[in-house]
Amino acid sequence: MPDDIAEVYRNTYPALVRFLYRKVWDAERAEDLAQEAFARALVHRPENARGWLFVVAANMARDEARRAAREKRHLILLKSEPDAVPGTLEEDIDTDAQRTRVRAALEQLTPRDREALLLWDAGMSYDEIAAQTGLARGAIGTTLARARRRLVEAYDAGREGGQHVARG
Amino acid sequence: MSHVDEGTLHAYLDGELPSAERAALEAHLAACATCRASLDEERALLERATTLLGSARPVERPAPPFDQLQRTPKPSPWRVRRAYAWAASIALALGLGYYLRNPRLAPGPAATPATVDQPVVVAADRAASERVSTREEKRAAPVRLRQRAADSLMPASADERARVALQRQTDSARQAPAIGVVASAPSAQADSVAPATTEALRARDSTAYAREPLRLEEVVVTGRAATNAAAAAPAPQNRLAATAWPIISRSAARSLLGTDPVGLPGLTTRRIRRSPGTDGTVVVEQAVDSSTVIQIIQRPAGTNALYDSAAKGYLNRSAERERADRLARFVGRLRVEITGPLSVDSLNRLLEQVAPLP
Repeated sequence: MPDDIAEVYRNTYPALVRFLYRKVWDAERAEDLAQEAFARALVHRPENARGWLFVVAANMARDEARRAAREKRHLILLKSEPDAVPGTLEEDIDTDAQRTRVRAALEQLTPRDREALLLWDAGMSYDEIAAQTGLARGAIGTTLARARRRLVEAYDAGREGGQHVARG
Repeated sequence: MSHVDEGTLHAYLDGELPSAERAALEAHLAACATCRASLDEERALLERATTLLGSARPVERPAPPFDQLQRTPKPSPWRVRRAYAWAASIALALGLGYYLRNPRLAPGPAATPATVDQPVVVAADRAASERVSTREEKRAAPVRLRQRAADSLMPASADERARVALQRQTDSARQAPAIGVVASAPSAQADSVAPATTEALRARDSTAYAREPLRLEEVVVTGRAATNAAAAAPAPQNRLAATAWPIISRSAARSLLGTDPVGLPGLTTRRIRRSPGTDGTVVVEQAVDSSTVIQIIQRPAGTNALYDSAAKGYLNRSAERERADRLARFVGRLRVEITGPLSVDSLNRLLEQVAPLP
């Protein structure tokens, strides 16, 4: 049923990229992984393509994170480069700083809370989230409530603790 | 009914509460001010969390066509390729360096033309693993890159052509940096990998080739064929030093270029630099991922018109044209080139996506 996957592709691709982005924090990589997930779906023809895609994507992101951990030394080397002082695009710095704060806040959540939140944000229903995470459907609301609260709290705490103050 | 828990409120706000529960909840809310207040709080929390998440989303780009996906079930396209390109480039630099460190050992007519046709990467890999093996193998890599240009210039034996190609390449290394890996290696230590830098820069070759002994300050492996016309225009100096170029603000870049700087809209811009000269060249450095930075070199198209027109004449030869065209392109009124520690294929792919930065 490649037509079905084509349909899922149209509807789900941006959400899958977004979902992956919040795991790998690299837009290009997220797109690559999303495309690879769809390419695999074409081979496997899963019954529930949408759910299957998110499971596969989550696994790929996990592998990616392990790989990234291996390359961490590289990253540290890169980060030790002096940053351009006034100069670089201010709006970029703002966007980057904001993204970094949100990322740090997301990382404060438990993996399960974070997964539920990201899946909901990717457009999944409570039923789908329950199937994906193994949580009872009745627990999804509570999980999401906790995840949202922790996200906001961690973000605010990070912002107060950080040196940067959000603009306007 | 006791007060409603936050999970139920979130499920309600998410529109995921089963209808029976929803009716019961709404009845309770109508009668309970405390729970109405809770509902407002949870709604504010939910909206706040959604906004935060929304501020950490990638720039949305249209999905590639579905049929393209079907054609290319690609496993991790460029991680692999990049690793491969790396290995090949370093091996090439090694092989070249070994060859160049003693020019008097330059090959005599004994070398067979067959070695000339060895594939670049095969030769490079061998050069890496058997550094002390025959020179012919090491030489084979640059020879193929250069062969076509050499053909057009030198009706000599394959071997002579090879040597000329190498010399020309050496000269161009002094005049202008090259795309590919640049190993900063004094000739005596040219076979040490250590100084290889990741800066990939581009080259313009010159037809002038000196007869002086090959004494390299930089061993440059180019991914681009020679252009005999390019001699007409000296390439901008010191591209190699682009990482030492002054960092400038975006507005300074805009005034230098007369238009918005270009780059890959989806990538983070790390910094912008300008050429220390007066050619108006600007380099935008962007992070492809956490460990890879590319440079997008741009300048107003008119700045080096001599080179451009000369190059176009040359580029009418179609085989060369394809390669050269794809490493530089015009975006608006800017001539844009791209470099980075990626394979030429990847760089081309990125170059296609270059657009004015938002």
